[in-house]
Amino acid sequence: MTALDPMTVLDLNRPNPPLIVVVGSGGVGKTTLAASLGLVSAEAGHDTLVMTFDPSKRLKDTLGVDESVGGAEVPVPTDTTGRLHASLLDPRETFDRLVERYAPDDEARDRILSNRYYDHMSGHLGGILEYMAVERLYEVATEGKHQRLILDTPPTREAIDFLEAPQRIVDFLDSGALKIALKQWFADDGQLNVTSGMGFVGRGLEGFLDRIVGMKLLRDMSEFFRAFGPLFPGFKERAGKVQKLLAERETIFVLVTGPGRERIPDTLFFARRLREAGYHLGPVVVNRVHPMLDGAESLDTNQDPAGHELFRWLGTRHSEALTELQRRLTDQQQVVSLPLVPHEPTDLKSLTAMGQDLQRVLLAPNASI
Amino acid sequence: MLTTEELCIIGRRAKIEMSSLNDHSLNGPLNDHFENLSLIVVTGKGGTGKSVVSAALGRHLAERGRRTLLLEVDPRENLHHLCDVPPSGGDIVDVAPKLYLQNLKPTDVCDWVVEKQVKIKPIVNRVLKSPVYQRFVEGAPGITEIAILGHALRLVRGDRPDAPKIDTVILDAPATGHGIYLLTSSRLFGETVGEGPFADLALEVADFVDAPEKTGMVVVTLAEEMPVQEAIELVRDFESKLGRPPDLMVANALYPPVTQGPEQDDELTELWRSRRAVNEKELTRLAEHWPGPALPLPLLALDDGPRLVRALTDLIAEDFAAEESPTL
Repeated sequence: MTALDPMTVLDLNRPNPPLIVVVGSGGVGKTTLAASLGLVSAEAGHDTLVMTFDPSKRLKDTLGVDESVGGAEVPVPTDTTGRLHASLLDPRETFDRLVERYAPDDEARDRILSNRYYDHMSGHLGGILEYMAVERLYEVATEGKHQRLILDTPPTREAIDFLEAPQRIVDFLDSGALKIALKQWFADDGQLNVTSGMGFVGRGLEGFLDRIVGMKLLRDMSEFFRAFGPLFPGFKERAGKVQKLLAERETIFVLVTGPGRERIPDTLFFARRLREAGYHLGPVVVNRVHPMLDGAESLDTNQDPAGHELFRWLGTRHSEALTELQRRLTDQQQVVSLPLVPHEPTDLKSLTAMGQDLQRVLLAPNASI
Repeated sequence: MLTTEELCIIGRRAKIEMSSLNDHSLNGPLNDHFENLSLIVVTGKGGTGKSVVSAALGRHLAERGRRTLLLEVDPRENLHHLCDVPPSGGDIVDVAPKLYLQNLKPTDVCDWVVEKQVKIKPIVNRVLKSPVYQRFVEGAPGITEIAILGHALRLVRGDRPDAPKIDTVILDAPATGHGIYLLTSSRLFGETVGEGPFADLALEVADFVDAPEKTGMVVVTLAEEMPVQEAIELVRDFESKLGRPPDLMVANALYPPVTQGPEQDDELTELWRSRRAVNEKELTRLAEHWPGPALPLPLLALDDGPRLVRALTDLIAEDFAAEESPTL
């Protein structure tokens, strides 16, 4: 642990870091972990907001967030020293608000918001959820109402998708080259050019393109990118600020991963990419590790030797995988584990206990729980 | 260390216990139904073991004599590792007799549609490089989904002379909750675009997906709160948006039942007992919403890999041959 950057040690008792981004692939327990970090942070006296994406029903009930409050920040009913709020991320709402913010006038805004291509793209374009999550983080950070923000990110197949999303979206929306290309069909006022579809010499490419894409969709795309053009510089500048916020030393990433050996390559890959991109990776948390428990020998194991064998096998495999990950990351990274517990924490008490367990191993990396 | 066979015995015991939770039943072996399908879409949340189940289902169908292709669309290849072959790099590769594997890049399919339509090489290249085409391929509603399903459709129809004849495509669907969008977006695309080779393909795909005798859906879940909640919602979505339920529910990685009484529990058995209790509780909840065919699969002491796939294939084979299809 000699080369560990003290800035990346996560101590929720201190006011730093003000921003924590919890990343990891789907199904590893990110949301639960984000909520438990929030509770410990608030207990330490810091006014904290947990921004979550897709909590389970029971976790939603515990935090008091549901669809009826939309993206609003709601106070979590706790008696922690600092206040704790939670909010649900709504990517479409966030994108709509961005459009509203940078649209020169109401008409331009409405043209975008009612466009069919926008309607689809704002919900399904690869990376849009990830980008809107960090955009929302920036928005809330700028408001400055909380001392600490904890962002639970959308469940991507690979954690790395999260890093590539903003640039991808900016490139996609950069309409410079596209507007020139679309001039073949549509004049600046959006009217169909009279020459379109007449098949004059040299229209080979365009002729094929409108046959392939279809004029209906071309018109939607043309309208969207024409309307979005004036917004793009503001949008791009803001994306730059969002990226900068993520790369600040006060922003710490927490990578959550599952316990199996098969997860190791992804975890190493993500940690490396994060560092290369200039972000600050704090602890790597290996969640739901089957503990190495003994005591099986004291039983009449003949009743179910295979069941005990399964648990011993899982305990051994998970422990080996953890050791390997620690060995391969230990120079730069703190790697800690949380054990599989009898029940997934969903109420405030068990979430707090989980957060405290994590805080304990984070501050004493060699301790195990 | 236990043998695979012994582990399977534990697994079957876990299964029998689970089966007694609910006594819904359907007629006829699952083999009869699944051997008639041309496309099987395997959906489920990340971390549920969807890829392992896809691979085992593929192996089973291949062993039953169906020429089966395992189709993966994740750019970071994973299935080859479960099949014990090198990464496919986009090609269709042999895995076992009658079993093939392909990692598909959807944009390659789109490019192929363009090539077929345009035919003139220099223009093809200009179309593919055009910013209009690139925004189309990335941003048009459902284009990726049409590319994936269109590819499957062409293979089972034998429209690709460069590919082996395929009877069944098993699609290891993208994990990020879009299983339903995958199957319904082709209609949307047809309506939005209306014309051209992609719209034509979209309509063919929509007909293919809408035919219950051609396209089947398998939902893979864990018997834990969040995955079960999502599985229940997915079933509802299938019924309301596609007009029919999935063909099979797989409850994966179940802990075995604890046989001894709780009075002598040590720490290990306590943990085991409570995780097993979560499994049973969630399976009961799932069974209340899902009376259809279901396949409970045990958590086995095997790493993700060919041996695990082999063990699950044998369990699938047994349940698929049963006269009455299993339920929860």
